[in-house]
Amino acid sequence: MTVVRLTLREAANRKVLIVGAVVSVAFLLLFWLGFSIAFNSITSPSDPTDPAVGATIMTVLGLYAVQFLAAFMAVLLASGAVAPEIDSGRLHAILARPLSRTSWLAQRAGTFAMLVAGYIVVMSGAILSIGAAIAGYGAIAPWRGVALLALEVVVLVALGTALSVRLSAIAAGVIVIALYGAAWIGGIMDIVGTALDNPTLQRISTGVSLVIPSDALWRGASYYLQSPAFLIAAQVEADTGNPFAGNAPPSGLFVAWAVAYGTAWWLLADRWFRRRDL
Amino acid sequence: MSSPTESPVGGDGAVPIAATGLCKTYRDRKVLDQVDLHVGPGQVVGLLGPNGAGKTTTVKALLGMVHLDEGTAALLGHPVGDPTARRAVGYLPEKFQYPDWLDGRQVLEAHARLIGLPADERAGAITDALRLVGLSGRGDDRVSGYSKGMQQRLGLATAILGRPALVILDEPTSALDPIGRREVRDLIRTMRDRGTAVLLNSHLLGEVEQVCDQVVILHRGRVIHSGPLVDLAAGVEVRVTLDRLDEDALAVMAGFGRITARESDTALLALDDVAAVPALASALVMRGHGLQALVPLHRSLEDVFVDLVGTDLEGEGL
Repeated sequence: MTVVRLTLREAANRKVLIVGAVVSVAFLLLFWLGFSIAFNSITSPSDPTDPAVGATIMTVLGLYAVQFLAAFMAVLLASGAVAPEIDSGRLHAILARPLSRTSWLAQRAGTFAMLVAGYIVVMSGAILSIGAAIAGYGAIAPWRGVALLALEVVVLVALGTALSVRLSAIAAGVIVIALYGAAWIGGIMDIVGTALDNPTLQRISTGVSLVIPSDALWRGASYYLQSPAFLIAAQVEADTGNPFAGNAPPSGLFVAWAVAYGTAWWLLADRWFRRRDL
Repeated sequence: MSSPTESPVGGDGAVPIAATGLCKTYRDRKVLDQVDLHVGPGQVVGLLGPNGAGKTTTVKALLGMVHLDEGTAALLGHPVGDPTARRAVGYLPEKFQYPDWLDGRQVLEAHARLIGLPADERAGAITDALRLVGLSGRGDDRVSGYSKGMQQRLGLATAILGRPALVILDEPTSALDPIGRREVRDLIRTMRDRGTAVLLNSHLLGEVEQVCDQVVILHRGRVIHSGPLVDLAAGVEVRVTLDRLDEDALAVMAGFGRITARESDTALLALDDVAAVPALASALVMRGHGLQALVPLHRSLEDVFVDLVGTDLEGEGL
C-alpha cells in the first residue's frame, strides 16, 4: 500500500485534490443556482413546460458535465501514470525495492481509478441531491447509472495507463482524448441514425462503441439517471427527448463488453510494463 | 558523514552478485556481450568503462529493470527479476530524482516501508541514514528545496537505509563537491569495514582506485579486465637498464613479458606476473648481462585503463 499512499500524497501535494475540490464546489453552486432559477421559471403558470421534463433535462445535463470533467480527469491522471515516472528517474529508485512491477502499476493506476470513480460517485450524488431538493427529482435507478459512469472513467484510466506505458504522457493523453471525442461523435450518429431510421449510421455507432465504449456507457448510464416521468413523456411525444441521453437501458452484453474492454487494457498495461526495459 | 557501526542485514552469507554471460542487444547494437560479474560478501568492486560501455545497463539488468537476452544473474542467492532478490539491496540510480513534494524523511519513510522495516525501527533507521550522508537537520525540508548535491546525498541515504547486505551505487558523486566526494569514499570504506558489499559504478578512476578491492572494466559491452585492483594498478611494468642491451638480453626478457619500449640500453617490460621481478633479475645476471637498474614502475589505474581501452580499440581496427 506504500505506492497508494505515495500516489495519494502526490495528488494532494500537486494540488490535484484541492483544485479539483474547489472547482467542483464552484460547479455545484453554479448548478444549484441555475437549476433553482430555471425550475422556478418553468413551474410558473404561464410556462407550458412539463416540470418533470425540465428537471430531467437540467439534471442530466449537470450529470453530463460531471461525466465530462471526470473523463478528462481520468485522461490527465492516467496518461501521466507511467512515462513521466520513468523519464524522471523516480521509478528506478522505487522499483529497486522488493516490489513487483505489477504491484506498482496496480497500486498507482488503481489509485487514480479510485480517485476518479470516487469523484463520479460524490459529484453525481451531489447533482441528484440538488435535483431532489429543488424539484423533488428521482431517477429510475441512480446506483446503476452511477455505477456505469464509474465504469466509464475506470475504462478510460485503464486505456490511458496502457498507452502511458508505451508512449509519452502527452501522446497518450492526445490519443485518449481523440478516442473520447470519436466516441461522442459515435453517440451523435446513433441519435441521428435513430431519428432518421438509418441503420448504416446506427451500425457505425455500434462499431465505434465497441472500439471506445465511453459515450455508449454514458448513454446507458443516463437512461437510469432520468426520471420515469420524462421517459413516459418522451414516448408519448416523439419530439421530447434529450440529445445527450439514452432512451433505452444498455444491454447486458454491452456492459459485459465494456468490463472486458477495460480489463483487457489493464492486462495489456501490465504485460507491456513488465516487458519493457526501464 | 560519520561511520556506521552495525553489520549489514539480509545477506545471510549469500554471494551478493553472481552474474555470468550477460548479453543484451538493443535493436542491432550489442550493449552487453558475455559479461561476467562477481561481487563477494564485503567486497567493494568498481565497474569501470568509458561512456556507453554498458555499465548502467549491467546495473539495471542486475536490478531487474533491463531484461537480459542471455545469461544468468543472482543477487544474494535470488535470481534477478524475483523481487525478493532486492530485499537487502540498496541502490542509488545514476539519474536520481526523488518526489519533490515530499520532505527527506518522507522519502526515506516510503523506502523503509518498501523494504519492510518494522514500524518501531523506521524512525531510528531514517535518522541514522540522514546522519551518515550528512543531511542531519535537513530531513524535514522539502526535496524541492534541496540542491542537486543534497538530492544525491538523499539518494545515498535511501541506498544505505536499513543496512543492506549489498549496495549498488551508480555514479554516486556526480553532483558532489570535492568534500562530498571524500565523504562518500569514507562512507564506502566504512560500509566495507562492516561487511557490506558495494558495486561502485563510476567513470572517476581516482575514486575507484581509492576504495575498490576489485575492478571490472567494460568496453563496448565486453569485460576487458576483471581482477584485484592491486594486480592491475601495481608495478606490472619494469624499466630494465643493462650494460648493453643486445638480442640475447631481449630474448631473456621476452620470456617474462612483453617489451613495450626500447631506447639505448634501457627497455620497458610489461610483466605477466609482478612476482616475476626477482626471477627476471636472476636470469639476466646468470646470462652474463650487467644489470644496471631494474625499476618496477607504478602505473596508475588511469594508465591501465587507457592502455586497455586503447588496445581494445586497436583490436577492432578502429
